[in-house]
Amino acid sequence: MPEDKHILPPELFKDRGSLHPINHMKDSIMDLLISFGFEIVDGPEIETEEFNFDMLNIKKSHPARQMHDTFYVENKSNLLRTHTSPVQIRGMLEKKPPLAFISGGKVYRKDDDATHLPMFHQVEGIYVDEHVSFAQLKDLIYKIIYSLFGEEVELRFRPSYFPFTEPSAEVDILSKEGKWLEILGCGIVNPVVLENCSIDSNNFSGLAFGLGIERIAMLKHGVTDIREFYKSNLDFLRQFK
Amino acid sequence: MKIAYSHLVKHIAECPSIEQVSDSLFQLGHEHEIDGNIFDMEFTPNRGDCLSINGLLRDLATFYTIKLNQDIYNEKLDQLEIDFENLSEDICPQISFLKLEIEQVPESYKGSLNNYFIELGLNKNNFFTDISNYLSYETGQPTHCYDANRMEGKLLFQETSKNEIFETLLDKKINLTNKNAVFLLNNKVINLAGIVGGKDTSCSANTKTVLVECAFFQPEAIIGKSIKYDIQSDASHKFERGVDPKCQDMVLRRLINIVSQHANIKNMSMISYNFKDNPSIKIPINIQKINEIVGINISEKEYLNYLSKLGFIIENNFIVVPSFRNDIKTQNDLAEEVARVIGYDNINISNINIPRNKNEDYKNIENKLRYFLLDNGFYEVINAPFVSLPIKGAIKVDNPLDSNREFLRTNVTNSLIDNLLYNERRQKDSIKLFEISDVYSFDDGVIRNRKLSIIGSGRVGLNFEDFSKKINKKYFNELFYEILPSQKFSFHTISRDKLITKVKNEIIGCEINIDEIPSEILSYKEQVKLPSTFIQYTPISELPYSKRDLSFSIQDFSKCKLLERYILEFQNDLLKEAFVFDYFYNEKKAEIKIGFRLIFQSTESTIKESQITNIMDVIIKHTNNIEGINIPGLKYSRDYN
Repeated sequence: MPEDKHILPPELFKDRGSLHPINHMKDSIMDLLISFGFEIVDGPEIETEEFNFDMLNIKKSHPARQMHDTFYVENKSNLLRTHTSPVQIRGMLEKKPPLAFISGGKVYRKDDDATHLPMFHQVEGIYVDEHVSFAQLKDLIYKIIYSLFGEEVELRFRPSYFPFTEPSAEVDILSKEGKWLEILGCGIVNPVVLENCSIDSNNFSGLAFGLGIERIAMLKHGVTDIREFYKSNLDFLRQFK
Repeated sequence: MKIAYSHLVKHIAECPSIEQVSDSLFQLGHEHEIDGNIFDMEFTPNRGDCLSINGLLRDLATFYTIKLNQDIYNEKLDQLEIDFENLSEDICPQISFLKLEIEQVPESYKGSLNNYFIELGLNKNNFFTDISNYLSYETGQPTHCYDANRMEGKLLFQETSKNEIFETLLDKKINLTNKNAVFLLNNKVINLAGIVGGKDTSCSANTKTVLVECAFFQPEAIIGKSIKYDIQSDASHKFERGVDPKCQDMVLRRLINIVSQHANIKNMSMISYNFKDNPSIKIPINIQKINEIVGINISEKEYLNYLSKLGFIIENNFIVVPSFRNDIKTQNDLAEEVARVIGYDNINISNINIPRNKNEDYKNIENKLRYFLLDNGFYEVINAPFVSLPIKGAIKVDNPLDSNREFLRTNVTNSLIDNLLYNERRQKDSIKLFEISDVYSFDDGVIRNRKLSIIGSGRVGLNFEDFSKKINKKYFNELFYEILPSQKFSFHTISRDKLITKVKNEIIGCEINIDEIPSEILSYKEQVKLPSTFIQYTPISELPYSKRDLSFSIQDFSKCKLLERYILEFQNDLLKEAFVFDYFYNEKKAEIKIGFRLIFQSTESTIKESQITNIMDVIIKHTNNIEGINIPGLKYSRDYN
């Protein structure tokens, strides 16, 4: 190199890549939940009807089980999981309470439009112990939402319906524009689900929650069209580093 | 479902405002939007009992004093003689028929019936069908009206596999296949039960004698049929969610009352069949359990008071569930009722303390690989697994979204090739991508593999060191040898022969099972720092780029940084990117040569040559005024002075 102090080459900008914003969001949420004490469990994306529906108290007649909502494979012998809950079922069958699991990953539903995709991502959690209550579930949900959106965010709980939780709730946050936005679903684990996993529902109760990653990523990053995440456009991906 | 505020509030003694009713409905879990004086309700699927004025009022009774002003015909009725047989009693355990003849079809409607059409802006059909529709709105129980003069013969209810063309009263011909619950008249389908009636027996504007059918159908027999036959009906929506199995007689008596307000009834007769008893569900009173589930501490008196307002009956030590609440079976169901009445937001938080669990090995190898790839300019992508080509072992989707997405991918690389071509079409000349994903195949059972796929093509990087280097096998091998010397990656050239592209750059790719990656990757020290805040996305432009290169010869080296900063920090909405692509110090000539690439793109329209020239003129004019710097080949430098 020349001795002249001005003869310095230009700054070398090495292009760093970026994690996919959905994976980054999923990892952030999983890390947050790990910090609360949850253990990660993993499971397959191809599931049986038993684990995806029956064990979760989703009756044979439930619309979600119809061919127009769920992808079935290999002559209906299996299906593409419609949520990550079956992973928790597998976890509950293996371990005894107290237990606290989270599972995250791809899930599939037969949708394809501007706001829905046939593949999307979820993170779900379950905590089973003695005397777990809805009031405790609220505490956990507040902690999750405050960590994601800041403690100044306003949130509300609405009664809802999921076959695997009772009572069930959906949680909304108030946007800067004054609109309530649905963020997650949660509830007290239906005793039928605990019994299906050989957990005595007289002695144990549980809470469960699930978040759609795309929805949270869209809110956090200001992405308005869900399809942008899956075009693999470098101009899009380069923004997330 | 649309419900008029006025139709609710006329039964509420306190006369709450529309906003107050809205707040109450939200607390009870009934999502809705307000359009003028109409609630556009969206009920959860377990609350079929709320799909009516009376259903909502039953829930609102928690907060208000409800006074239903709906008279019913209470006199004794003659028994209808009808040739009816039920061959599927499990599916239709309760059914009632009413036959009624009026003197004259009314020309206009009165009272609630009239308000129903006016407030909701609905079109009228014919007298009896209009009453049937109104009754469904008021009570939640669908009824079907046949023109009695077209109903001669034996009427049969049956779940049958009869394949038959059936013409609905909406003139739609459907081909009935597989099992369907139907009504048959003289062995011909006249009604797809719980979904839609047939044309041949439907009422018209002249119908004076009607046969009204009012039934309970098991939801399992109805679910899926409206989608299968593409028939959207109010009846199917309600039957799918479950109607009150004990209301049929009352609903027909209410129908008589409404008819009598509009026309003289010449004669009428009714029959009710109860093929199966429907015993009430009884749940033991257990306030301790309720308090435990919700995390509250209310008294038994308070608890029972809440339930009484919702229509539950307290009998000895049991809570008797009303017949319209088919969603209540357990203590947890009752706990939800209590929580709704208190209001989820009014339940105090109780501290949760989850015991710590171990997560030692959570995807460490996978994450190290990801960070290593990020450090070297690779971008992570995610692709859906649906593909068109049946590769050996590929799992077939029974019900794909379309025939081009009929199989699950058995490799990740093909998806990355598509991603690469997509970016090449957008003029990208340095593309480095990776994806980590499960892939599934079938060989005497489902096989799951977690794979890493990497692909690259074009320039190694967009900086003066890497700009002229092309991605090839050597680049990949050297890169990975650095961190995984013991691992043999099979980087290979992917042929462009069958790809639709004019780009000639070599494509290099590799796919490997994650579990084959040795643990030595764990010692890799990543450099990349992930963003600590969430980046706000700027919408991207799909319009084409235009690029310009600008090279300088520098004799006064003290001006190097000045020049570099000026160009790299130059701000213009149309200038998308700028970087140094060339740098050379010529010691003999005591000269530095530096080249900048500027990339222009508009978000509004295809960028014009004149727009670029204007920006370039500003840059050139400024840099031309810096002593000791010149642009070789610039003929008219004076023009920029």
